[in-house]
This record gives sequence, structure tokens and C-alpha cells, in this order.
Amino acid sequence: MVVLLGCFTLLFAQLNRVQLFDAEALENNPANTRAAQRDFDQERARILTSDGVEVAVSVLVDDGPFRWQRAYPHNDLYAHTAGYVSFTVGAEGAERSYDDEIVGRTAGQEIAELTNVLNPNSDPGSVILTLRHDLQQVAKQQLGERPGSVVALDPRTGAVLAMWSWPSFDPNTVANINSAESNEAYSALLETEGNPLRARAFRDIKPPGSTFKVITAAAALESGHATLDEPVFEATTSYTSPLTTHAISNFGGRECGGNLVELLVRSCNAPFAQLAAETLGPFIMVNQAEAAGFNSVPPFDLVGGVSSVYPTDYGAQLQSPSEVSPAGLFEDTPLLAQTAIGQNNVAATPLQMALMIAGVANNGIVPSPHVMAEVIDANGQVVDRIEPEPWRSTMREENARILQQALIEAGQRGSGTAATVEGLVVGVKTGTAQIGGDPPKSHAWIVGFAGRPGEEFEIAVAVLVEGEQADGDQTGGRVAGPIARELFTTYFSDTSG
Amino acid sequence: MRPRNLELSLLVLGTMVIVVAYVSLQLVDTPNVGANVAVFLGILVVLLLGAHLVIRYAAPNADGLLFPLAALLNGLGYVVIARLDPSLASSQSAWTFIGVGAFSAVLLLVPDLAWVANYRYTLALAGVGLLMLPLIPGLGRNINGAQIWIAVRGFSIQPGEFAKIVLAGFLAGFLVDKRELLAISNRKVGPLNIPDFKHFGPLLLALGVALMVMVLQRDLGSSLLFFTLFLVMIYIATSRAAYVVSGLLLFSAGSYFSWRSFDHVQRRVDIWISPFDDPKDKGFQIVEASFSLADGGLTGTGLGSGLPWKVPFAATDMIFAAIGEELGLLGATAVLAAFMFFVSSGFRVASSAPGGFEKLLAAGLTALLGFQAFIIIGGVLRVLPLTGVTLPFVSYGGSSLISNYIVLAILVRISDSTARAGQAAPVGRG
Repeated sequence: MVVLLGCFTLLFAQLNRVQLFDAEALENNPANTRAAQRDFDQERARILTSDGVEVAVSVLVDDGPFRWQRAYPHNDLYAHTAGYVSFTVGAEGAERSYDDEIVGRTAGQEIAELTNVLNPNSDPGSVILTLRHDLQQVAKQQLGERPGSVVALDPRTGAVLAMWSWPSFDPNTVANINSAESNEAYSALLETEGNPLRARAFRDIKPPGSTFKVITAAAALESGHATLDEPVFEATTSYTSPLTTHAISNFGGRECGGNLVELLVRSCNAPFAQLAAETLGPFIMVNQAEAAGFNSVPPFDLVGGVSSVYPTDYGAQLQSPSEVSPAGLFEDTPLLAQTAIGQNNVAATPLQMALMIAGVANNGIVPSPHVMAEVIDANGQVVDRIEPEPWRSTMREENARILQQALIEAGQRGSGTAATVEGLVVGVKTGTAQIGGDPPKSHAWIVGFAGRPGEEFEIAVAVLVEGEQADGDQTGGRVAGPIARELFTTYFSDTSG
Repeated sequence: MRPRNLELSLLVLGTMVIVVAYVSLQLVDTPNVGANVAVFLGILVVLLLGAHLVIRYAAPNADGLLFPLAALLNGLGYVVIARLDPSLASSQSAWTFIGVGAFSAVLLLVPDLAWVANYRYTLALAGVGLLMLPLIPGLGRNINGAQIWIAVRGFSIQPGEFAKIVLAGFLAGFLVDKRELLAISNRKVGPLNIPDFKHFGPLLLALGVALMVMVLQRDLGSSLLFFTLFLVMIYIATSRAAYVVSGLLLFSAGSYFSWRSFDHVQRRVDIWISPFDDPKDKGFQIVEASFSLADGGLTGTGLGSGLPWKVPFAATDMIFAAIGEELGLLGATAVLAAFMFFVSSGFRVASSAPGGFEKLLAAGLTALLGFQAFIIIGGVLRVLPLTGVTLPFVSYGGSSLISNYIVLAILVRISDSTARAGQAAPVGRG
């Protein structure tokens, strides 16, 4: 009896030790996953598109290691934007960037919660994305099973309207609360060809080809080396820069020349290469590329974005600027000539190219891109709203208007006719970046914007259909153009009413 | 207060505790609790009141604490099991009915226990037989590494749970018969006085066979428990510390031997000493139990709000961790206190029992239950190496629950006989 009572006293002492005195040390033990788990196992706010479609919801489950399972009703459609949240492999997309908002941890939400004490509501509220379900669906359906990306945004605010990349994946698999299944799905995706987990739209850079000529043209306008009408570039078929024997030819070997607008409409290679190499020079080109956002990571609200690359080092200056060649001559002037048409080491994310063209459409101001619009509490009150912010001032308004005019003409009679929509004002620039191979392959690009006649441009897009797996040679106009057109049509068909 | 009225009041209190626990659990997931709770309360009242009436009828003068304590532990355990795994809860409620039924049956059908002492050798054979059942090919089942189960009509039964009671009966019967002989030492081996082997032999034989079987079945918890039972009973019977000392020496030697020879014993000891060396694999269960308890703190996370299911075997061996996590130090202490009260009551029953057999049996069974609680709670708290036994009345498990109710019935029966003997011949026995 005495022995047993002693035993129980010992248990009581040890119970105090474990539950009180050692409790903090145990909570902080690296093997203790309970805090993370508690944090994870709660109902998260719904994620909705701006047109009210549920993209992510929390579902109560009967058994399993957690009570709540996150579900993504549209499977792969929002995998790279809304992302996923998994206890095992972490979170991506808006689920990652806006975790605090989604679990109601921000100061504003906690204050709102306090005022709700008398009327406790278990509803976790919603977060609203800027994405539009109809545009997202069009992007997916139009791109099909071709590796590439579609980005559409509002050039005035930077609100991303659609962002889709193929290959994509079903976030329900990695979000599985069963950690073994989640891990297995994640590892399988990592080993899948083309890495579907990777959001190519803002994480992969590819040579932008002729779409980059918009920047070269802007550099000429901003530096005062060209206006709407002057100079008129001599028609040539090719250009060979000093220090090389490698000629840059026009598409199809045609003769190409005229004023700046004409060069953009006809997408001449030789005059743009010559313009950059001999007239503008490295400093003006680097400046303009960086003003459009190159060499910086865009201030995007999804994590993991990369900076687009425009080369900055052209070696030593060999000749000073002269009357004939205001740019002077550099060791790598031949490289500079190629960058003018978006070749060689120039590489950009589709998001960057969408931002670049948004800068043109928005009269010279590049907006900060974002996918989040609003955080709504359980009572439908807006707790937090993402305010539009400018990112880069890329050119003067008058020059932006000249480029707008040039790209609208390119849409009417140039390489971008496939993207134009009757009844809308559409400006586009195509790009076909050759990446070699036999038969030769190319990335097909288009960047553009659209608006109603006499109104602001409301949508800017960048489409890239990657060339590595393409059947044959593809051009931006033929391949990417129709995708842009469908986005424009859908956007305006829905808001015209 | 008269014992039956005390019992009734305590049962009302216990019912309130259990129902409050159940309601708070229901409230976590659903904002309004209605019919569910009414049904639960109804069943609880019918069950407890039924058993109470049986005691009133069959053992009116029995101790008033034992049954309410068992009911409280059982009810609390049920709520925690329901919280961990609703599918286990429905079978646990069935086991509870059968357990209370067995309790009532023993009380109604067995008015007196003294005669059982005459069948001590039958009990020894029956006990060893029960223990060996799981070793019969086709009948036995190995679950979670221990060969201690038999399958009957789809149910898994642990005959060892019942064997312990039967063997306690044998020990009580044997020791009451031989205690004078065992208390005298007529042989001297070195410094030790050893009683005649012919008195001692059957005891050692039964003990040896029983322990051997348990070791073969890899049932460390039960072997430890049975050995402790043996020591307690022989000490109470003879009042000779020499038995306990030599028993402990024997135990140490046995422990050392099995530590040296059995991998699974060595592993358990290693995990006990340094569970944090391998918190994700070998030490996982005990490490998670510590984290679980630490999470609970003083007042606990509240029923349904913690993560007690993270601990493997949370509803059976590790249920004390779940209680500590969700009901806190306060709730876990209440469980410890309930066991201490139960043990005190049990020993009080033993000390006042008139017959030697009943005295020994009551003490043995109380010690059995108390040490079982100590071994498993000590395992969870890392006071002892973890060995898989159930927490009496609290853990999930049919065999354990039913056998515990039978133990309870025997204690209640003995306490009633004591009181009746006291009434028949009040005071002044010496």
C-alpha cells in the first residue's frame, strides 16, 4: 500500500515535470511538429476569382491526420497562381504569399475578430484574386498541351487577369493531408518532364525575339534619336556590324526600311540592329531595357519570380562616338546588334514581356503586378485591398502614344493581324526567336494590348508558345496571335454589357 | 453517510463530470448539441443506476467508493476514446455493457468467495492454461508484436487479462494455506533462510511457468505485473521482507538476463533511456507522448482541441497522454487521484476482510490494478520503460475492461462480506 502510494507520488512528480517544468523545452524540441501542425490544421479562407469562382476551399474530413483538407476544385487551372498548401511539402502561390490573410492572422483581421466577439463566426472569410475565371479557361484551352505561358493583366493597375503555364499539375495531389501520398505526388512531379511545378510564366526566361524591338524603338524615341517620322531608315536586306562577318538578315531575306513605325509594323531586323549598334549604343539600350523592368525581379506578389536578362557588359570602348557612329564602337558591338532584336543573351519571362507592353499601353508607366485583390472577412467586409502601384516609369507619354500607334498598325497590316478583333483597338508585336535545331525551331511570342475605341487600354497580354517541343518552325503571328485574340475577345465580351 | 447513499451521490457527481466532458467534446465540432447528448445521458444513467441497484440488492453493505471511481474512470476513458476514434467508441460502449453485466453477474451469482480457496490448484492450472491459449496454432493471434490474443468469432480476446485474476486467486488460496509454513525457515543456505521446498515448490512452479509463457509471448508488461503481484501477495501473507528482497534480486537477475538475451527488451530500455536519439522512429511513440503532455500544460487544450491522435496507440496504451494533453495536469492528476483512492479503498477492504483468503485476494487484486496503472502511466511518463498494458477502466479494450469489472465485483463482494461479518460479530474479535 505504502509502496503503491509512493509510486503514484512519483508519477505525480514526473507529471508536473513533463507538463509544466519541462513543457517549454519539449515544445521547442526540434522534433516537435505540433505547433506547425496546429497552425496548419484550421479552416482557411476561400480563394475566389474576381468573378466569384471558388479556386480553393477547406473541406472538413472525417479521418486522417488533420481535420481540414484543402481542395482545389479546378485542379490544374490555378496551380501556379492560387498555388497549394501542404503540410508535407510547404506552400506555393497565393496560398504561400497570403498565408497570414488566408488564416486570418493579419492585424486588421484580428481587430475585426475582436469586434466580433459577441457574434462569433467560424467562417474564415475569403480572399479575392484579380484573376478572371473565363480568361483563365481561355488561356488554358487556347494553349492546349503546348509548353508555354499566357499572361494577361490590366495595364493600368497591374492586376493579373490570367496567368497560365503548361505543363501544369493538380495541386490536390500535393495538398493531400496524407503525408506519404503528398510526398509521393510531389516527388513524381519533380521527376516529370518539363517540371510542371514550375510556374514558367514568371520563373522561366526565354529569348523574346522581335517583341524586344518595342524596347529598342522606345530607346530611340526616348534618347531623341528618332521621332514618329524621322529618320527614315534606308531599305536593306541585312546588316553586318563592325568586328564580325555575321550578317543579321530580315525575315525571309526581304528588303526592309522606312520610319520607326514602319520598322515595327514590318518587324525589320537589319535597321533595328544597325540602330542599336551604331546610333544608340550600350548605355541607352541598357537604360531602356532596365526602365522596362529587365535585370530586376518584378515586385510580384507571388514568390519565386526571376529577373529577365538584358546584357550590360559590351567590353572596352574601341572608338569614340563620331558623326557616322554616335554610339562609338565596343568590343561586343556585334552582340549589341543582336540584342536589339531580342536575340543572343536577351531572355525574359512572359510576365516581364506583359509588363513591358503594359508600360506602352499605360502611357509609359509599368505597373506592379499582383494576383491578390481583396481580403474579405466573414461578414463580407473588406479587410484589406491591394492598391495599384507603379513600378517603372519607362518612357514619356508622347513616345508611348507613338509606340501604341505603331503597334496598332502592326495589328492591322503587319505580322499581328491574327490577334486583331473587330470593334476593338488592338496593338500587338509578334516575336519569333530562333533557337536552332534541325529542322530549326523557334519560340513564338506575341505581346499586345486592347481597348475600346476612344477609351483606355484595359488589357495587356504576353503569350509564349515555346519552341523546343514544337512540331516545326512556328512564328509568333501564326501561333501566338490567335491566343491573344481569344483573350481580347473574351475580356471585352464579358465587360461590354 | 451510509455506503449505498454515498455511492449514489458519487455516481451522480461522476455522471455530471462525464456528461460535461462529452458535451464539451461535441461542442468543438457542432455548435448545438441536442439529441445526441440526451441519448448518451440516458444510457449512462440506465447503466450506472442498474449497477447501483444490483449492488443495493446483492451487496448492500459493500464499500461505496469503489464502483463510482471505476465508473468515473470508465466514463472519462470512453469520452477520450470517442474523441480519438468514434469507431472504437462504439465497441468500447459495447464492452462497457458487457463489463457492467459481468460485474452484476458476479455479484448476483457469487454470494460468498471463501470456498474458492479450496480450488487453488484448479485455479493454477486454469490460469496457466488461459495464458497458453494464444500459443495454440490457429487460435492465437499476434497483434503488434505480442502473441497474447485469441480470435473467437471475429473478436480478439486477451485471455491473459483473465488469467491474472485466476492466478491471483491461486496465490491467495495457496498462501493462506501455507503461510505459516512459509514464514518459518527451516533450512539455511548461506545467509538466507529458506523454507522447505515441498511447501515452496508448487508456488515456484506456477510462477515460473506463468512468467515463461509471458516472456515467450513477448508480453513484458504482464510479466512485470504478475511478478509484482507475486511479491506483494507473499509479503502480505508472510510479513517477511526477505521474500521481497530475494524477489527483487531475482527480478534484477531476470531483467538483466532478458536485457542481454532479447533484442526487443534491449530496444525498450534504450528507448527509455534516450528516446530523443531517434525521435522520428524508435523513440517516436514516447517522444510524441512527451510532446503531447507538454502541450497540455496545466489546464489542457480542451477536449477535441489538441492533437492527441499523433501519439501511436493513443486510445489504448497511451491514453494517459491524451488525457494529459486535452485535460491538462489537472485532469491527469484527477485520474491519478482516482487510482489512489481506488487503491486505498481496495487495501482498506483487504485489511478489514475477515477471512485470510479474502484478505489476500483483495490485496492482490488491488495491487494488480494499482501496479498496472503505475506501469503504464510510468511508461507514458518515462518513469519506467514503456510496456504495453492497458490503463485499467480507461483504455480501449474489451478483455481488459471486462476483467477489471470482474476484479471490481470481487472487491465489492469481499467488502460486503466484511461488513456482514462485522454486523454478525461486532467489535472485539481479539
